[in-house]
Amino acid sequence: MNTWLYVLRKLIYTIPVLLGVCFLIFLLFNVFSPDPASIILGKHATVKQIEEVRNELGLNKPYFLQYLDIVKSAFTFDFGRSWQTKQDIWDMMKQGAVPSMTLTIPGFMISTVFAIIISLVVSFYRGKLLDKGTVILCVALMSIPSLAYILFGQWFFAYKMSWFEISGYESGFPYFIPYIILPVLIWVFLTIGPDVRFFRTIMLDEIYQDYVRTARAKGLSETTILFKHVLKNAMIPIITYVIIQLPFLILGALLLESFFSIPGLGGITISAVYASDLPVIKAMTVLTAVAYIIFSIITDVLYTVVDPRVSLK
Amino acid sequence: MGKLKVFGKLTLVASMLVSFAACTKKQNLDEKVLNLVVASEVKGMDPIYANDLYSSNEVARVYEGLLEYEYLKRPYTLAPNLAESMPEVSADGLTYTFKIKAGVFFQDDKAFPNGKGRELVAEDFVYSIKRLADPKLQGLGWWMIDGKIAGLNEWRDKYSKEDVVDYSETIEGLKALDRYTLQFKLSKPFPQFLYSLAMPFTFAVAKEVVEFYGKEFLNHPVGTGPFVLPVFTQEKRLTYTKNPTFRKKTFPSEHSEEFASIAKENAGKDLPLVEKLVVNIMKEDQPRWLNFQKGNLDFISIPKDNFDSAVTPDNGLADTLAKKGISLLISPQLDVTYVAFNHDMDLFKNKKLRQAMALAYDSKTSNKLFYNNTAMSAQSIVPPGIAGNMPNYVSPFRERDLEKAKSLLAEAGFADGKGLPEITYDCPNSTVSRQQGEFFMKNMADIGIKVKVIQNTWPELQKKIDKRQVQMWGIAWGADYPDAENFLQLLYGPNRSPGANGSGFNNPQFNELFKKASLMQDTPERTAIYEKLNRMASEEVPIIYGVHRQKYTMKHGWLKNYVSTDFDAGQAMYLDVDLTKKAEDLDKL
Repeated sequence: MNTWLYVLRKLIYTIPVLLGVCFLIFLLFNVFSPDPASIILGKHATVKQIEEVRNELGLNKPYFLQYLDIVKSAFTFDFGRSWQTKQDIWDMMKQGAVPSMTLTIPGFMISTVFAIIISLVVSFYRGKLLDKGTVILCVALMSIPSLAYILFGQWFFAYKMSWFEISGYESGFPYFIPYIILPVLIWVFLTIGPDVRFFRTIMLDEIYQDYVRTARAKGLSETTILFKHVLKNAMIPIITYVIIQLPFLILGALLLESFFSIPGLGGITISAVYASDLPVIKAMTVLTAVAYIIFSIITDVLYTVVDPRVSLK
Repeated sequence: MGKLKVFGKLTLVASMLVSFAACTKKQNLDEKVLNLVVASEVKGMDPIYANDLYSSNEVARVYEGLLEYEYLKRPYTLAPNLAESMPEVSADGLTYTFKIKAGVFFQDDKAFPNGKGRELVAEDFVYSIKRLADPKLQGLGWWMIDGKIAGLNEWRDKYSKEDVVDYSETIEGLKALDRYTLQFKLSKPFPQFLYSLAMPFTFAVAKEVVEFYGKEFLNHPVGTGPFVLPVFTQEKRLTYTKNPTFRKKTFPSEHSEEFASIAKENAGKDLPLVEKLVVNIMKEDQPRWLNFQKGNLDFISIPKDNFDSAVTPDNGLADTLAKKGISLLISPQLDVTYVAFNHDMDLFKNKKLRQAMALAYDSKTSNKLFYNNTAMSAQSIVPPGIAGNMPNYVSPFRERDLEKAKSLLAEAGFADGKGLPEITYDCPNSTVSRQQGEFFMKNMADIGIKVKVIQNTWPELQKKIDKRQVQMWGIAWGADYPDAENFLQLLYGPNRSPGANGSGFNNPQFNELFKKASLMQDTPERTAIYEKLNRMASEEVPIIYGVHRQKYTMKHGWLKNYVSTDFDAGQAMYLDVDLTKKAEDLDKL
């Protein structure tokens, strides 16, 4: 099938998915969420003012119309303003997405590249001391709670050693760099354990394939076998794993953002959930769903690039 | 060779990292900069939405109101700010006439012709208060003037049904008599009205700025205040600079005895005392604590987890910190913590049951466990420091007395807890709140009462209180203004949920007395009524009192003129930084 037709068909599938997402948002908000008017008005709320605010927010409209409002904003991407902060939601997201990505993307890239290299090497030495030691180290890294990394890293490297800023953030390149080095390093330590274990399993599946034996018989160097043949054949699960994670990078890293005072989307999302701030929750949910669908399509298309045997149907 | 190349590249990467890392910011010792911290997000800079402590403090750095609290006076005393003097009040207590200061200018901004800020006039206050009442804007400080200013509620109701609100319509109780004269007419006596004029909700904004920026007004603060913030963004750091067109305002000479040295040293100095103000938003305790220790913040409240390492058992400062030039300030807060009963339930109409539970509650141990023994046991709902609090009063149902509690429980018809259903205790979902709930559960178990602790997010708890889906819950109340009325209203029947009286306590005698006192000016007679109400509440046990918390603040030696206050708005303009001392002390950190 033509790639563009495939992409178009997949994009059409997003319509029922988005309708479903809107229904879930509507359901969760109306069934489980506390009254946003009471939250906005705080401790001095009166019955009359709660009703006035509910009217202003459209919460007294019939349920069907409220659902339609959610659908409308999901398809027009017009999310309006936050109920809690009164800020324009696109501005909030623009302001939050960049700091989040300056933290998550370098962290993700570094940990992924290192994890792939380490997993290739240890899979080559399967069962040897290096392999066993790496697996034990990965399990140990995974066993330590993320908060422990953050608290220790901040106290020791930033406070005691004064190597990094304790917290904070400045917009614009290169001003943000001194503020993100430590959180990025912590991100790498947090994620490299599970990544290495996952990639090692993929590499091990490949390393015992016939073509590896053939390559060795032909006298190819181990480096060529590993990085040219094994890695290329292992790319499909790696691409799936990597690309599907990308939409979530935009959402930020809540704990790291919170402890390092990085004004990212993680904090914005959590604050919105606590405040029953429907417009922000709606925007974050819809955009994550759309990003997830788009990146799924990109993954499918990349399969055909990486492995010509794969065809889109 | 290959290995050498790899080694070379690794060395390069490592050296780059180290060089970036070495770029940690050095303290600027060339100009006076205040480095402050807040523990929560700031929502925006529109005064009418500044209903949380953090946003209202930020608003008050740029905007100003008619009145303010005397910085160096306790008990808290109102003083004129943009008003020339305190208002003339008519004999019936209904008309307040203010003269506002001439020659006060809004900060320069492109919203004004030629970018030059214009003079503040009385009409600006009329406009600003109408904005607070605007039904389309739903200002969050409306509660403070709701039903108080003649004609304002009618104006609000009228335009709640219209598409466009007409600000030009005259309101009987809110008029600019001339360029500098402002008159309020109240619809009923409300002695607390003046406090509302010291709250950021009523601070002056300029109509042309509001109209110029439209919905983005909340990100473009333009006031008459001491500091300028060009644009507000959702960053974690707000940087204010000294307002170059700020009027001549000097450090006050009026003071209480305890602040005599500050007044003597500073009285008459031009305000603000610093060139720049940096407000850091740090939600977590650890970065606040470490940044303070590093000298990046001038003062902080001591985080709970660091309390033992910072404060000695006799309330002194740990030697290690004192050697660094750090000092400790302890001051009472105007607040009260309590466990509320849901008085809509028949079960809690049983006064002896409430009294028994109050006597079973171990407030001393609670203070030790949850407040590092720093809080004051609450004998009444009104905290120390304001009229109506009785310093020597001891509530008959305050200190733990298990025998008496058991006896009262039997008199209530539930000897050893028999016949009582399991009672639910709702609390927010923080660890400390849960621990407090479990402590309460254990206390009640000692007299045979079974309690189940339920955790909720704060909005969920609020919803359950509003919908009366709670039995008992732990909560706290902080003062909006320094008047006992603000605390006693928590027990005023007509204020029931969703109003401030979440418990729904409704005692006709209490209500009648409260209503009478709430219309009276601050006189000894009113104080006597407040005290009577306090006693009445202690006898009735409508809620189980917890503590009045105290603020433990640490500050660096270079920070001058710091005074602990419950009303921080405007505080930053009085603070000063001794740069020589800072240079010395930073070496010790």
